[in-house]
Amino acid sequence: MSSNGYSQINKSSNGYDRFVANSICTRCFSSQGTAVVEQQPKSCDGLTVDSIVSSGWAILEEGEGDWKSHAAGIAQSIQLIKRRLQWRKLRVQLEMLSVELNKPNIWDDPVHAGNISREHGSLLGKMKEVNGFERELLEHIDMLKLAKEENDAELESESMKALLNMRRYVKEKELEALLAGEQDPCSCFIEVQAGAGGTESMDWASMIMNMYKIWANNRGYKVMVVDEMAGEIAGIKRATIKVDGEYAFGYAKAEVGVHRLVRISPFDSGKRRHTSFAAVAVIPILGASSSHFQINESDLRIERFRAGGAGGQHVNTTESAVRIIHIPSGVTATCQNERSQHQNKAMAMAVLQSRLDQLEMARQAQLNAQHTQSLTDISWGNQIRTYVLHPYRMVKDLRTNYEVSDPDSVLEGDIDGFILSFLSASLDKDEGNL
Amino acid sequence: MMRNCFSSSIRQTLYPSTSLFKYLQKPHPAKSFPISSSSSCSFPTTTPLFLRPPIHSASFPELKKWQDWAKHLALSVGPKFLESDNGPDADLLCRELKWLLEDVVVDDENATASAASGVVKLRAGLEELYALWRQRIEERRPFQYLVGCEHWRDLVLCVREGVLIPRPETEQIVDLVEEVICEDGGMREGLWVDLGTGSGALSVAIGRLLLDAGRVIATDLSPIAASVAAFNVRRYGLQDKVDVRLGSWFEPLQDVNEKPVGLVSNPPYIPGDHIFGLQAEVARHEPRIALDGGKNGMDALLHICEGAATLLKPGGFFALETNGEKQSEFLVDFMTGKMKGRFRDVRVVSDFAGVHRFVSGFCC
Repeated sequence: MSSNGYSQINKSSNGYDRFVANSICTRCFSSQGTAVVEQQPKSCDGLTVDSIVSSGWAILEEGEGDWKSHAAGIAQSIQLIKRRLQWRKLRVQLEMLSVELNKPNIWDDPVHAGNISREHGSLLGKMKEVNGFERELLEHIDMLKLAKEENDAELESESMKALLNMRRYVKEKELEALLAGEQDPCSCFIEVQAGAGGTESMDWASMIMNMYKIWANNRGYKVMVVDEMAGEIAGIKRATIKVDGEYAFGYAKAEVGVHRLVRISPFDSGKRRHTSFAAVAVIPILGASSSHFQINESDLRIERFRAGGAGGQHVNTTESAVRIIHIPSGVTATCQNERSQHQNKAMAMAVLQSRLDQLEMARQAQLNAQHTQSLTDISWGNQIRTYVLHPYRMVKDLRTNYEVSDPDSVLEGDIDGFILSFLSASLDKDEGNL
Repeated sequence: MMRNCFSSSIRQTLYPSTSLFKYLQKPHPAKSFPISSSSSCSFPTTTPLFLRPPIHSASFPELKKWQDWAKHLALSVGPKFLESDNGPDADLLCRELKWLLEDVVVDDENATASAASGVVKLRAGLEELYALWRQRIEERRPFQYLVGCEHWRDLVLCVREGVLIPRPETEQIVDLVEEVICEDGGMREGLWVDLGTGSGALSVAIGRLLLDAGRVIATDLSPIAASVAAFNVRRYGLQDKVDVRLGSWFEPLQDVNEKPVGLVSNPPYIPGDHIFGLQAEVARHEPRIALDGGKNGMDALLHICEGAATLLKPGGFFALETNGEKQSEFLVDFMTGKMKGRFRDVRVVSDFAGVHRFVSGFCC
């Protein structure tokens, strides 16, 4: 399992690769459960991944390095991946899940047992994959040393090639490890709300929303406006979009917080400089396998939004917005952009479900889970990024200090740099994760 | 890179929600059938925009120019219509403009490719688009007649002048039917009738809820309505299940031996003297025959109540749409008073705006 992805890229499989793959598989099968993660794999002469990193071998460009450079690069990537996966926490979690799974009465509640077992499987899979990398690296090194001793030039060049391939592969894995959170693969809703300051802020809110729409489109996500409350003169007071696609939540969650704009206001005849704020919230849309907040049909009140007059045959309108109120929690959801009431209702229901799921996650967050804040939780003091259009031009993330001098490209959706730097900073800085 | 930027900028400008497109392209998940080629099911007079072939095109700036012009026209309306007769405001008109673009602009892989060269493929020429939008604003022609369809529940129903545009409220009749069917599975296999079907909305939606043995007979006095209903029935592949018959209320049912298990109707219920005060879209453009319910608006409703008592199977279900509180109360009094013993569990159901819209119950 651990070697699958890697051997896929080694399309020109030959005897050497098969040998390595076999030896890894044998080890996988021979080690069961968490035992797999307990021991640091070692090469024949006692090298470990950690010792390679601490030996400080120079990591050169792919094209020019010797095997030590490749090995050091791979070892560094493995360490980074471990840090990003929050390795230490992962092990504790896995241990707890194993204890839970071994309880004799676990299957009394098959749904719960299913969830636990699925989570256990997914964590174990992640750990096995990384352990696979560690072993694989050391095998390659052993093989290379052997080839040198035996003066087998062919074997040596194959081993080098394998090391280089692995170096590239684990580099890709570094990025994937940024999005290892349970909800990261989900689609999501992005909500933007204008801060105080009237038209100026509402215009800013719509600029931000537009930035996300373009960003999501460029990433190949499907974007749908769910709800939009237009400002009186320009912009939006508040809007919700649905962003559909793999890892939409994982990326977009980096955008949660208050975004600040400084510019000469186009709405100010005196051409003065204005500062505006917009708040962004991101809500994951949980997959079918996750446990949802149970909505009781009788707890809901469904209203025609902006209904006026006699209705029915009297009125011909394409306006069929629906608002759903969850009475016990007071949480509401509105959808007005679908073309039929039925579908507005279905979409509003989906938004409501996600909001209630999020509330439930927040409630459970005291235990361990990470959670993102809803719009109402976000304090206007929680600024994450500043966009300056005047007197100079710059966008700067206040959390990571990542900055870009071209605000236009950022507002046209080029925000991956900000997202990745935030994600890596929030996971990589924490050495305790290793 | 350039190409990418361009197509995404079109997406942003013209139609941020592209998801509807795919949904629009497939009329029925199971069956497909000829739409325009076969004469037997061709749409009477003009074909709805979204079903027309994309034989027109415009350059991106030309289309953008039209969009800007149309938006400007919509914004110039402001709250004028809303204040005069509860008509659409500028916001709503802008949303309609977006939907018009969704129906008229072709969104597939080829289209994205040709958009890269600056050409947008269209289902109607620019000239027609200018004319259509002018009709919307200046003549208050209903948006649904403009595009030739109305999205209703999860359906896209074709409509044209001469047939009532189905209202969102009426969707709830299908919810009521669904409830009854869930409780009594036998209802799924019986005969249903839809009196005054108009575009066929209720019949198509109910037809899709029924099992193989279930059938619907839809009646309408208007030949235009009957042909539009038949078109919608075919479009959803329900021609073996839904039978559209021309004639007034119960008349076309005279040769039916089977007693129906259910009856639904959204008959004309607006009191005759209210017709001229209605919103321009309704009063000037929609068929009076589908709206005018006689002096107090109850002519058709009372006729249907009386007929339902003898038509329906014992235990048969009915759901009727009314003008609101006054009519629904009157109907309930009538059914439990003068027609005592013929119906049971008669109740009033509100629509989502809180109006006492529907009367439902069972036959004894």
